[in-house]
Amino acid sequence: MRKFVILSLVLAFVLMPLAACKTSKEPDCKKADVFCVGLVTDVGKIDDKSFNQSTWEGVQQAQKELGAIVKYIETTDAKDYDKNIAQFADANYDVIVTVGFALGEATIAAGKKYPNVKFIGVDQFQAEVVPNVVGLIFPEDQSGFLAGALAAMMSKSGKIGAVLGTDAVPPVWRFGEGYRAGAQYINPNIEVNVVYHNDVGFDKTFTDPEWGKTTAISMIDKGVDVVFGAGGKTGNGALLGCAEKGVMAIGVDTDQYYTVPEAQSVLLTSAMKLLTPGTFALIKMAKEGKFPAGGNYVGEAGLAPYHNFEDKVPADAKAKIEELTAAFKSGTMQTGVSPAKPQ
Amino acid sequence: MDLRRFGFILLIIVILIGVVVLVGGKTVPAGTIIASMLATTISVATPLTLGAISGIFCERAGVVNIGIEGMMLAAAFFGWFAAILCNSIWKMPAMPSLLIGVVIAILTGGLMGLLHAVLSVTYKVDQIIGGTVINILAVGITGFLNRQLFFEKGSIFGGQVPHAPGVLPRLPIPILADLPVVGVIFRQQPIAILAVVAVAVTHFVLFFTRWGLRTRAVGEHPRAADTVGINVIRVRYANVIIGGMVAGLAGAYFTLESVPSFEPLMTNGRGFISLAAMIFGNWSPVGAWMAALVFGAAQALQINLQFFRQQIPPAWAFLQQAYVVGLIPYILTMIILTGIIGRTTPPAADGVAYEK
Amino acid sequence: MIEPVQSTVWQKLEPILSAAAVPLLAVLTAMLVGAIIIFIAGGNPLDAYWGLLEGAFGSARAISETTVWATPYIFAGLAVSVAFKGGLFNIGAEGQLALGAVASAWVGYALPDLLGLNLPAWIHLPLAVGAGMLAGAIWGAIPGWLKAKTGAHEVINTIMLNYIALNLTSFLLNGPMQDPNPLNVIARTPLIAEGARMPPIFPGYRLHWGFVLALLVALLIWWVLNKTTLGFEIRTVGANPNAARYAGVNVARTIVISMTLSGILAGLAGAIEVTGLNYRHELGFSIGYGFDAIAIALLGKTNPLGVVIAALLFGAMRNGATRMQFLTQIPTDIISVIQALILLFVAADAIIRWLYRIKVGEEKLVLTRGWGG
Repeated sequence: MRKFVILSLVLAFVLMPLAACKTSKEPDCKKADVFCVGLVTDVGKIDDKSFNQSTWEGVQQAQKELGAIVKYIETTDAKDYDKNIAQFADANYDVIVTVGFALGEATIAAGKKYPNVKFIGVDQFQAEVVPNVVGLIFPEDQSGFLAGALAAMMSKSGKIGAVLGTDAVPPVWRFGEGYRAGAQYINPNIEVNVVYHNDVGFDKTFTDPEWGKTTAISMIDKGVDVVFGAGGKTGNGALLGCAEKGVMAIGVDTDQYYTVPEAQSVLLTSAMKLLTPGTFALIKMAKEGKFPAGGNYVGEAGLAPYHNFEDKVPADAKAKIEELTAAFKSGTMQTGVSPAKPQ
Repeated sequence: MDLRRFGFILLIIVILIGVVVLVGGKTVPAGTIIASMLATTISVATPLTLGAISGIFCERAGVVNIGIEGMMLAAAFFGWFAAILCNSIWKMPAMPSLLIGVVIAILTGGLMGLLHAVLSVTYKVDQIIGGTVINILAVGITGFLNRQLFFEKGSIFGGQVPHAPGVLPRLPIPILADLPVVGVIFRQQPIAILAVVAVAVTHFVLFFTRWGLRTRAVGEHPRAADTVGINVIRVRYANVIIGGMVAGLAGAYFTLESVPSFEPLMTNGRGFISLAAMIFGNWSPVGAWMAALVFGAAQALQINLQFFRQQIPPAWAFLQQAYVVGLIPYILTMIILTGIIGRTTPPAADGVAYEK
Repeated sequence: MIEPVQSTVWQKLEPILSAAAVPLLAVLTAMLVGAIIIFIAGGNPLDAYWGLLEGAFGSARAISETTVWATPYIFAGLAVSVAFKGGLFNIGAEGQLALGAVASAWVGYALPDLLGLNLPAWIHLPLAVGAGMLAGAIWGAIPGWLKAKTGAHEVINTIMLNYIALNLTSFLLNGPMQDPNPLNVIARTPLIAEGARMPPIFPGYRLHWGFVLALLVALLIWWVLNKTTLGFEIRTVGANPNAARYAGVNVARTIVISMTLSGILAGLAGAIEVTGLNYRHELGFSIGYGFDAIAIALLGKTNPLGVVIAALLFGAMRNGATRMQFLTQIPTDIISVIQALILLFVAADAIIRWLYRIKVGEEKLVLTRGWGG
């Protein structure tokens, strides 16, 4: 017994000072020539192959091209939002990127508390103007609309489908309903089956490829011949289901021809929202002193190249898509989709 | 297994499929719906069946194993990791890589089974605590390794997850696969087929071999078994390790047969649902299999009701809510546990550590 | 002359140190193994642990955050401990917590509108917390009653009830209970009324009175378990149900009471999070309060004081992990591995004993008695 006490006391005393010998040096972000960018994710990991990752890649681009010092913190619980943002803000980081609409309130609060730090809120629509907070938003409904239109034009069975994450997330809702609207614009009689993964919690809804695959296959068994997979890895599962059944698929967020190579043979296109270039652009503006004074910055959205389907998409379909894309850009066309799911 | 329970299970499956046919029958032919639901049911039921068999092996020998979830998760990860290693680093073709992955998954399961046996049988740690330890350990290790191995430090995303060698192919049985409606049953992937084979094999081994007799003796009356000369410790170890291996096969389903990728926590409670299926089926392989099919059908119902949302008559609108239908397996399990549908009879010495 | 004084001090300390020996060593050993894993994975364990320490205790704010994390852990750990003492395995802390949070949030935001009154704090807050306790009590009583009446094992029932509770919460927070503010799309309730909020102890920090309440409740539970008849009955049924029956204890009733009490504590965890920290309930992520609570209960040897310390430890680790990640970019998963190892070493304490040559002398915690009646 005595031996144990002495042993543990010795251990403790030895470990303490050792712990104090920390070897890494923290960058001094206060200095004018040191540009520090921090990223705070929503609950979810940085390696989720979509959302958080694309934004992080934009930040990494800043590291490569602008010489920024970059770090990230993954949030494990919603009550940590403020604390995690504060870690960067208290260390005088120049730009803090917060990913996901759930961080909206915390970002605005931090923006008011730390007026010298620039905040980029990805997917956070700014209803009021806070001078150092810019919302990076995307017209997902337009992207979805184009995808739906193309699906309607390419479908032979008159039945198309979409497998998505939860519609409680506005961008997902916009993708899904945009898809429906676009399909019905081309063919009012088309049957559009949109299924949202609402039956699981937020932690699961974007990381459930099995459900995505099972649902897609279930649809395909019933005659659907184009499936839009949107919702992180859940959507990827749908793409894989299409690949297995040899049915056309449409990806989301980035050009999934590259992120889901197994589905290349069936991938028609992807409804993109370009998080990486959008994030990078805003960071660059911050560095160059051209950061917008609050409000929203609309990123790019559109359809990815057709790759293997370049020859299989008829010329008039391609023309239609180009016509619609131009109409959206010039503002002459609206999708009619509400920004978020009505209560 | 008794007739009342069997009838109950059959009835539920018929109801589940029937509801969907009723709802969707106008837009899609009934035959297609049934075929589609059967396909979904079988694929959802596969890991549950294997998990339940795993539980049966352990518990028939008297060892409670709630660590099936962790065993599946760890096996899913390591099997997938092995397949990727073979395919991307050692440049082996897809099929051998996948097969090696399955073998590694089974071995991982067996290893975790060994851990559980050591904890429960030798160290006599409380078996539920031991199972909990396995679950938490599996979550932590797979999450951590998933990050470290595929997203190396330094350039956090330097390591792209390498292209996975796909999934195990479907093996259609020549004539039967072409049958209308039910043909889909005969077009399954290897692990799904193995699940059914495992049910038959387990049933045979447990009830028709000496080995099975010894196992059941140890599970019901270890002291009597000991007196007769059966090595209780060895029987328990053997069964728990085999149980672990079967759980390993279940894990392989997730990453080598279903979707070729690993997600942290991808087992999503299915290890526990397997336990429910085992109890539901009264610790018999065939019963557990039927229970797994019920749970599979319930999930198929959920997916299909969402698909046919427009056709649901307004009075039944609440069914649309995925939450409602998703509750079916859980509520069913609780009902079964109360014993209303026939008594549940676990092995008598289940859960009690054996003191010599 | 020195000898007698030393030995009395020693006599007082020794029982505590003996009891704490294995858990303490389990934690140290787990951290050592964790350090090895970090090192093999290419990180610097010293930096990592320094980050952990700094994040958990390095500033007033850090300590405040640690207590914020620890508070629900204390309640949940107590919940599991009480059940353990009664020979029952409550894996349903997660579901009981969720429903406790939902109920107290509802009372917090809906009651004033319902009654048309502005409720003063000394009514509203206890009502909100009480609602949480009631919800937890019901969700704990169900498996307790099922076990007492039908012999159905509480492990599976509590797990099933967890999923049911999760689905229910999902449904409520995405539907009838969702914040109607048009700018809000997240699955969460509206903010609860001012009167239902527990104030922070020091302005500017999130440390709230819920933490103090947690400590008081821990004391209360210790008293109930060790100094009341009820506590005696619970522990006797836990130790040996047959002996308890012969002694005249109503075993069935005690089982229900144990599970209900356990559920109340878990419900409290949820209620306090709502009224003391978030002022609303949001559809969160399952960070596994349920299993963490089991680990904490075991680490604390189901003794309320031990549970408080274990909860503080786990809270410190979870809190410090973000600073660790900020400084070293080492993923927070390592914390889960360390916690799993702690649990492993505590559960299989023979390993620790062998490593550090400690004599046997401890009570074995065995609760599993199969599934059926």
